[in-house]
Amino acid sequence: MKKLILFVSALIFSLSVLAHGPTPQKVQESITVNVSPEKAWELVKDFGSISKWHPAAKETKIEKRGDDTYRVITLESGDKLEEKFRSIDEKFKKIKWEITKGNVPFTDFNSYMIVSKGASANESVIQWTARFYRVYKLNPPIPEGQDDATAKEAVQGIVDAGLKGLKKVLEAK
Amino acid sequence: MSIRNKLFLLLLMSMLIISLTFTFLSRIEPVNRAYITNQGENTVSVVDLNTLSVEQKIAVGSSPLGIAIVPSKNLAVIGNVDSKNLSIINLDKNEVTRTIPLDSAPLGIVANASGDKVFITSWFKNQVLALSTHDFSIIHSFSVGITPSGIAFNEKYNAIVVANRDADTVEIYDADNYKLRKKVKVGSHPYGISTNSSFILVANVYDDTISIINMENWVQKVIKVGFYPYNAIVHKEKAYVTNAQGDNISIIDLKTFQEIKKINTGETPENISIDKINNRLIVTNWGSDSVTIIDLKIQEPIAQIKTGLQSRAFGQFIYTK
Repeated sequence: MKKLILFVSALIFSLSVLAHGPTPQKVQESITVNVSPEKAWELVKDFGSISKWHPAAKETKIEKRGDDTYRVITLESGDKLEEKFRSIDEKFKKIKWEITKGNVPFTDFNSYMIVSKGASANESVIQWTARFYRVYKLNPPIPEGQDDATAKEAVQGIVDAGLKGLKKVLEAK
Repeated sequence: MSIRNKLFLLLLMSMLIISLTFTFLSRIEPVNRAYITNQGENTVSVVDLNTLSVEQKIAVGSSPLGIAIVPSKNLAVIGNVDSKNLSIINLDKNEVTRTIPLDSAPLGIVANASGDKVFITSWFKNQVLALSTHDFSIIHSFSVGITPSGIAFNEKYNAIVVANRDADTVEIYDADNYKLRKKVKVGSHPYGISTNSSFILVANVYDDTISIINMENWVQKVIKVGFYPYNAIVHKEKAYVTNAQGDNISIIDLKTFQEIKKINTGETPENISIDKINNRLIVTNWGSDSVTIIDLKIQEPIAQIKTGLQSRAFGQFIYTK
């Protein structure tokens, strides 16, 4: 938890730098939750609910800008993160979004979550996949803290903590 | 037995042998395979497109992305981004027969029509490299726009076309003397590119559009597609576009320049090639580590096959023999 806040807040580089390196990084994790897929999906698809289950998200505000929906997350560290809702697929229980603003050690973060059936009716599997790039886009040597490993470690922390948080909240209900 | 009867018997036997040979030969289907680079596990999956099964995996360099098939030489050139080299695969043996070191990361790869030269975009050096398939040496390199990504070869104009991602341009070079013939401003973040007859197609990732450029008059049409288009190819008066963050492809009618349909794929579809033998599209899914097979007649997906971690295959990846 501390480590996570450190990652998301120790931040030096802005996402407004859109250009990125050549190799997208991937974090894909799943967790089994002892509730029905319908119940899990209800929480997962609620774009404004992230502060209910992600330990690093203190407060979430939904903002409509034209046709687009954003969530502005105030992190435990006090920093703000802005994410844009992309799409929802009820049939496949899939929600997609991207980070549009925030000081994080990675760029071009696109993400989706899928809720699928577990082994029994009251079990579901939540999968979270993130695609992102390191901060530094030029030829090596890569400055410390802007490399693939740093980016991946930060996202891994966010995803792991988020899935654990989802499980905890869903099973406590 | 009379001579006549002997001859008749001989004729009968030869006919039998011929017909048996034909029956045997007709059972051997043509080689029709997809070579899929799996960037997350440093392999290339060999997919039999007739049986829709993965035949084998070939270990290559680190973070393989780009691919070009050179049918005249029975080889594939694989670009390894992190190990900064090329793996040459012999397509008869499905083995890496050579590794060619480069001084920088290779991105897009394409062969010319005869297959004697292969062109590679060098992302960090802002260059295009020309590799000889005779002696596998880099015979030339020249500067292009910044972060050159997709590259394609136009046979009609003997030209190399390059998408310069961070310059928002497409450049057209002579494939023999490497002189710049034309530079065209396109949309934001052009990445995948292809060319067919007089047309160049390029995916403008951040605009959710593709540009179609006519090389006869340099008129450019811009067409809205899905989220984050990654690559675009032409086949029989239609364009097919992967929408990487839309998890689908767009089909564009090239007579009306309108999108006529979207078809769902796996997660994060990136690249696309045509299986001409079975009239299908093969799409690589980076997110779901798979390829989606789409039947072009019914315009529906018919199968999804697991390939390997982070399947990408940037380039024309189908080999037919």
